[in-house]
Amino acid sequence: MASTQPKNDAKSTEPKPEQPVTEKKTAVLEEDDEFEDFPVDDWEAEDTEAAKGNNEAKHLWEESWDDDDTSDDFSAQLKEELKKVEAAKKR
Amino acid sequence: MSLIAEFLTSIRGFVQTQNGDELRNWLLVEPNVAAHYYELGQQLRSTCPPNSDNIEKLVEKHLPEEDDVPEGRGSPWPGFNSFMEEYLKYWRDVDFNDIVKLYGRLSDLLISCANALANPTYGIMLLQTSMSLSEALSKLVMSITKEPHLMAQIQGDMTGDEAGEKKSIVELAADIIQKIFTSCLTDRSSTRWSPPKGKKIAVYLFANLTLKLLFACDKSRLAVQMFTNLSTSGPALSLYPASQRVTFLYYLGRFNFDHGHYMRAHWCFEEAYRQCHPQFLKHRRQILIYWVPSNLLLGRFPSQMLLSRPEAAGFGDVFIPICAAIRTGNFVAFHQALNASRDWLWDRGLYLTLLYRLKPLVWRSFTRKTFLLTWEGGATGNDPNMMTNRAPALSLADLVVTATYVQKLLEGYVPVVAAAGSSAALTTLVPPPGGQPKRLMPSEGLIFGNKQPDLDSMESIVAGLVYAGLLNGFIARQQKKFAVEGAKRKGGNAVAAGWPCPYESIMDRFREDYEDELAAADAGETNEPPGEFEDVPGWVKMG
Repeated sequence: MASTQPKNDAKSTEPKPEQPVTEKKTAVLEEDDEFEDFPVDDWEAEDTEAAKGNNEAKHLWEESWDDDDTSDDFSAQLKEELKKVEAAKKR
Repeated sequence: MSLIAEFLTSIRGFVQTQNGDELRNWLLVEPNVAAHYYELGQQLRSTCPPNSDNIEKLVEKHLPEEDDVPEGRGSPWPGFNSFMEEYLKYWRDVDFNDIVKLYGRLSDLLISCANALANPTYGIMLLQTSMSLSEALSKLVMSITKEPHLMAQIQGDMTGDEAGEKKSIVELAADIIQKIFTSCLTDRSSTRWSPPKGKKIAVYLFANLTLKLLFACDKSRLAVQMFTNLSTSGPALSLYPASQRVTFLYYLGRFNFDHGHYMRAHWCFEEAYRQCHPQFLKHRRQILIYWVPSNLLLGRFPSQMLLSRPEAAGFGDVFIPICAAIRTGNFVAFHQALNASRDWLWDRGLYLTLLYRLKPLVWRSFTRKTFLLTWEGGATGNDPNMMTNRAPALSLADLVVTATYVQKLLEGYVPVVAAAGSSAALTTLVPPPGGQPKRLMPSEGLIFGNKQPDLDSMESIVAGLVYAGLLNGFIARQQKKFAVEGAKRKGGNAVAAGWPCPYESIMDRFREDYEDELAAADAGETNEPPGEFEDVPGWVKMG
């Protein structure tokens, strides 16, 4: 068919260990975005993360990320601003 | 014997032996086929002109309906013969350079294939052919949607009869494929909860094909009916091969993401990722592209461990700056982080969602920071008397001060180091070069473009955060303060009490909504019970 889509290629989903995975940002992020057809229909559940339980999954996300540091530049500027406005009110 | 007769005789043999694989292998429609097919077309053009009924006669002659069919054998049926007539007309008329006509022919062919497939006795032998024709049509439609002049031509042809309800070609193609999907779904060879048999084996193959088409053409909302049908009568997803499960959950996740159901999207992506073989890096990467934003919107950041996985290569450059900006409540950094990856995010439909939907989290951190900088109750340490005397609160006036400062930064004002003790300067900012504040787009400003923060707007922002569960307390309107609740329960830690863990708050809010639904169902206010907490419409789990 007169398609401009790249043909789904089974080879492209096979891991290529020699392929560098941390290239420059642009190179890494420029990619084809289709969710390709899998080259195989089925695989064993034991080979997936689902079989390993939830232990690893727990470490994939950070829930507590609050920042209590007020010594950074941005905080210092805000603090300064609050002081100035406070001082102006008192005058 | 003519090539046409030979071809039909072979087809008859496959029908008699119910050989669906061979039917698919022979009933080809793409241009890259053996020369035989073009010869077939040539013969059809010379012997069966469009104004004759020669094709019908040929099909009738070579594909006779048989009377006594032995067990395990098959026979042509009227729907099949109509399909074969359509198939021969396709090769007679096809011109692979005329995409518009090709689209029309291929659509007609798939419609007649879908009709033939619906036959309860023999239809199933066309399952593989239905699949390959559906793939061909959706591939064609996806390529057409990338060519505006072809789109215009096809849409132009559809005026007249259909002018009343004009459907896009994507919609029309999806309708045909969904018809096949429905035919598979309603097959009675197996139940919802037993290993699929008959046409039921292809339910998720056609669902996935439809979804692929709809998402490629930005029409995901059209998938609603399909998910509803699956929820009502679909077979359990777990009964199907891993590739189909993962693909389906990926699209269901994207559907929920597009419709603002980030918790459901997260559940789908989580399961898709977990069930995907680690070898398929590209698929896992594709899942992560949406799973990470789903979690950001739920208040969770990707860990170093996740970002260091090979399938996440380069994602840190996009997401770490966004997370850092949320963490510090720094709106300037937030806009910079999004703009730095704007094209990448935009192409994946993420930019606007993150820009608008992550703002509450930045506001949460920003109000928290303002509280940290202004609340002095904490300075007295653990003195319980101090805690009772002064209830922890964030002054809205202070928030106006810090917000105004940030708004000025967004407008291009430049911070200057004012000399200590300088009496004249009321602000540490100077106007941007050129003297005029930058004109901001609505989304670029803190509130709305160049609107300056004031008490009312800060009150409404804080009220929104309280309502969303991101802040814990209430607005004391007389005092123009946000009063923190529950500090005592947190051992006097007013910050922890007022600004609870966002993910937990969002989860709690989601659970409350679910419990409200349960209560409404118990009270007989709704017909549909809400099911289990983690149910996602369209995702059929074993009952």
